[in-house]
Amino acid sequence: MDNLNIGRHISGQFNEDLERIINHVMHMGGLVEKQLTDALTSVCDADEALAKQVIQNDYLVNSAEVSIDDECTRIIAKRQPAAGDLRLVMAIVKTITDLERIGDEAEKIANVTLESLTTQHKDLLANLDNLGRHVLTFLQATLDAFTRMDLDAAVKTHKSDDKIDREYEALMRQLMTYMMEDPRSIPQVMSVIWSARALERIGDRCQNICEYIIYFVKGKVVRHTTPEDVQAIL
Amino acid sequence: MISVTPKNLSAHNVKLDLNNLSPEQVALEIKNLDLYYGNKQALQNISMSIPKGQVTAFIGPSGCGKSTLLRCINRMNDLVDSCKITGQIKLNGENIFHRHTDVAALRRKVGMVFQRPNPFPKSIYENVVYGLRITGENNRRVLDEAVETSLRSAALWNEVKDRLHESALGLSGGQQQRLVIARAIAIEPEVLLLDEPTSALDPISTLTIEELINDLKQQFTVVIVTHNMQQAARVSDQTAFMYMGDLIEYSDTNTLFTTPRQKKTEDYITGRYG
Amino acid sequence: MNNWFKSGAPWVWLSAGGVSISLISVLGLLWLIASRGLSYFWPADLYQFEMTAADGKNLTVIGEIYDRESIPVAQLAHLELNIDPITKTIERLLIKTGNRELVSLDFRWILVPQINETLLPEALVVIERRTNGNFYGYIDDIILDGQSVSLDKMPELLARVSAFQKQIARLQSSDIGAINYQIERARLQERKHKLDGTLTDELQKEISSNVSKLQAEYQVLERQLLVLREQVARDQIVVRAMDGQKVNINLADVLQVTFNNQLSFFGKLKLFFSQVAAFVTDDPREANTEGGVFPAIFGTVLMVLLMTVIVSPLGVMAAIYLHEYAGNNALTKLLRIAVINLAGVPSIVYGVFGLGFFVYMVGGSLDQLFYQETLPSPTFGTPGVMWSAITLAILTLPVVIVSTEEGLSRIPSAMRHGSLALGATKAETLWRIILPIASPAIMTGIILAIARAAGEVAPLMLVGVVKMAPNLPLDGNFPFLHLDRKFMHLGFHIYDVGFQSPNVEAARPLVYATALLLVSIIVALNMTAVSIRNRLREKYRLLEH
Repeated sequence: MDNLNIGRHISGQFNEDLERIINHVMHMGGLVEKQLTDALTSVCDADEALAKQVIQNDYLVNSAEVSIDDECTRIIAKRQPAAGDLRLVMAIVKTITDLERIGDEAEKIANVTLESLTTQHKDLLANLDNLGRHVLTFLQATLDAFTRMDLDAAVKTHKSDDKIDREYEALMRQLMTYMMEDPRSIPQVMSVIWSARALERIGDRCQNICEYIIYFVKGKVVRHTTPEDVQAIL
Repeated sequence: MISVTPKNLSAHNVKLDLNNLSPEQVALEIKNLDLYYGNKQALQNISMSIPKGQVTAFIGPSGCGKSTLLRCINRMNDLVDSCKITGQIKLNGENIFHRHTDVAALRRKVGMVFQRPNPFPKSIYENVVYGLRITGENNRRVLDEAVETSLRSAALWNEVKDRLHESALGLSGGQQQRLVIARAIAIEPEVLLLDEPTSALDPISTLTIEELINDLKQQFTVVIVTHNMQQAARVSDQTAFMYMGDLIEYSDTNTLFTTPRQKKTEDYITGRYG
Repeated sequence: MNNWFKSGAPWVWLSAGGVSISLISVLGLLWLIASRGLSYFWPADLYQFEMTAADGKNLTVIGEIYDRESIPVAQLAHLELNIDPITKTIERLLIKTGNRELVSLDFRWILVPQINETLLPEALVVIERRTNGNFYGYIDDIILDGQSVSLDKMPELLARVSAFQKQIARLQSSDIGAINYQIERARLQERKHKLDGTLTDELQKEISSNVSKLQAEYQVLERQLLVLREQVARDQIVVRAMDGQKVNINLADVLQVTFNNQLSFFGKLKLFFSQVAAFVTDDPREANTEGGVFPAIFGTVLMVLLMTVIVSPLGVMAAIYLHEYAGNNALTKLLRIAVINLAGVPSIVYGVFGLGFFVYMVGGSLDQLFYQETLPSPTFGTPGVMWSAITLAILTLPVVIVSTEEGLSRIPSAMRHGSLALGATKAETLWRIILPIASPAIMTGIILAIARAAGEVAPLMLVGVVKMAPNLPLDGNFPFLHLDRKFMHLGFHIYDVGFQSPNVEAARPLVYATALLLVSIIVALNMTAVSIRNRLREKYRLLEH
């Protein structure tokens, strides 16, 4: 929390507002992380009950987004934050949108579980599970960087999206081969592809969140730039 | 399809490089200015260039020297006996602290509006033409014209045109402050100094004055001191943050209020303990 | 009780009490002066007392009751009065009997027990005369040009006389006075040329021809005057005094004949107002104990106005220097303290200073330089209205300085800065902004100065006031305003009438009347100044920040 510096406002009320909002974001992050973990577990274990629970719990993520959004609006209206505070609020507004989308992706993955996969596709799921685990780590690292507003961690995490993308491409190639070999399995493989796609999207959104962290800390916009440019800007 | 590039997004506000202004862009150049009240140093080595036709705001905590710096520009500090100044302020390339500077002439070129509205206890008309009468202008037609022009510029004409010869003290605070601005611009200065012009006004009058400041920069270079950071953010093109007699940061307003370079600036504008 | 103290109520009562006492004393003072002063003008009832004197003789006393008092019987033991031994005190009356040419004293005490009968005869008359005071008695006859006429002719004859008297007065004061003045000036001119050595024969001839022309005019006027005097002395009244003696009074000497006992209330009221008007507009008579006080009013007002004209610019300029230009150092502080202490110097000291410095030194030098022709009789080297005005101006200077400075320091610096920031110089700011705003304070200073100066008498006795001035300081002769002349002053008039006059008893009501007049004039001067100040204050009212 050191980088946040929020404890030093002359207005104690403002401090509390900001702290509360950050806590809510972290809580939401935890919720999203749990949703993703559960979704992945349900896919691997073909646990339909767990999948249903994930789908059901998505509303929690949505309502968290709405309430944090409200709080941010209120802070802007009442406090007219400037500089770091303004960047923090803007970063939070954007972060929760991405977190909500991650929640949606987790829901999509859980949906795949419900489309009953046959045992012969279990090995497909093993690959998916692998990608899922990496994405989960990525999300955890992002949330961690967000919690500490750690610039270095954010930059490092930002780069790890490349790895996810490569892994995703490899998985896609594998699934293509699979479909070509056995056209009857296409519907099932498509479900897996949707899941993989969702995981890749999650990776992108985590990368966005890292960009927001960089924006908050440095005040520099690193969106739509290459990693080399990011290095140059920093 | 409209192409949205970063360039036309910021096209309405050409960013000036404040460290590298061309001579014709500079209205005032402050160089190594030190100011002492007795033995106490109130300003330390201030150097900055204030661009022409723009609004420059000085912000900072009370006693940081922003008003003092403002008062240097039209030499109102001369009224303080113990005040000693070294360094230069150049207006049109000439140092205003030069021994032979005609202070009255300087003040006609650099108008000033104070914290509290201070209309003279005369009619609205006489208030506006005061500066002109001082210069010996007594032609009724010229004066009438000046009154209308400056009251229009100060966005006050429609409210007072039917009672120009009534006492100025009957106006509301916001109207008085606009009258004082009209009085200042009636003598067509080059630079207009505003010393916390809205601190004694209600929020709506404040907005009227801010709108007026935005119009005024078409004709004048405006320098404003304000305690209200949001106001500085709203009205100014450049903002200078001062702290304990030092100029901490001077940059364009957009940058200063989103990504200040100095931690002191950040702490001040976000309301933190410095 | 303790709670009552804590509530603060005692202090409210205490301050209210203080205010009440002040108010009561002011009102009481005004009431005393007004009642004593105004009753002088109210036509009194004329009494005729039939009484037996101590020596057994019967006598008649006619007059108005002036005063009454109770005295212990023991005090009158030597008179061997035949009085009921139980009574401890008896009353006695002071009767104004007038008729100064018949009795040495025009007042006499009579003892109430000696009075046999008190009458209010309607035929009793009081005749107000130019000399010898009032006459009380009965009119026996009116003689017009040697023939007896009826009493009804009286108002007509009086009107004729007063018209002639007016003509005579005008001839004497304006026409003959002007000629005398011109002759004197011609003489002085001649002398001046002689002193300067520029007197040529031509000039001398011119002057002497001028003088002889004036003298011819003078003789014409003098003849006119003699004719008028003859005319005016045509008629006479024969009156019978209280002891039966008959007296001829020339109508030329009569101002007014009134039958007080015949007058209705409204008649008395009318007479009252005409008496007041006469008091305010007439010249004094009989060593100031009778007649009006117009020259004193005129002198007082003129002197105060002159003083105001002198003190205002001086005081304002001094205050401006002290407040705006003098540095804030020890010397300025010392000056300020000196100014404030100046207000505490006794006024007689100013009188001495005025006499020594202004009259003898400055006036003496002025005479040496410009009025050599009149020497050794001094022009400005003697007390006069100008020196009085200047002396009082010095006396009231601190008041004006202090209140002007107060006013200057109360002007918000925003006004000054506003003007300076528009390119005005300090002098322009002072002239166009500061002085107008400070004008109410300056007026306050002037009001206080007027109040102080109008009531001041002691220094004036040394530098210009006289008990009887032959001429007003303002008249129709060039240069109209004669600053070198001595003048009369109401304050000094009070002192003179009350304590220096030969007839103290007769003068007493005049003292009150004059005091009332002085108070009214000061109040009027103050009210004028206050109303001017209030108008200014309204105009330059600063917004309450």
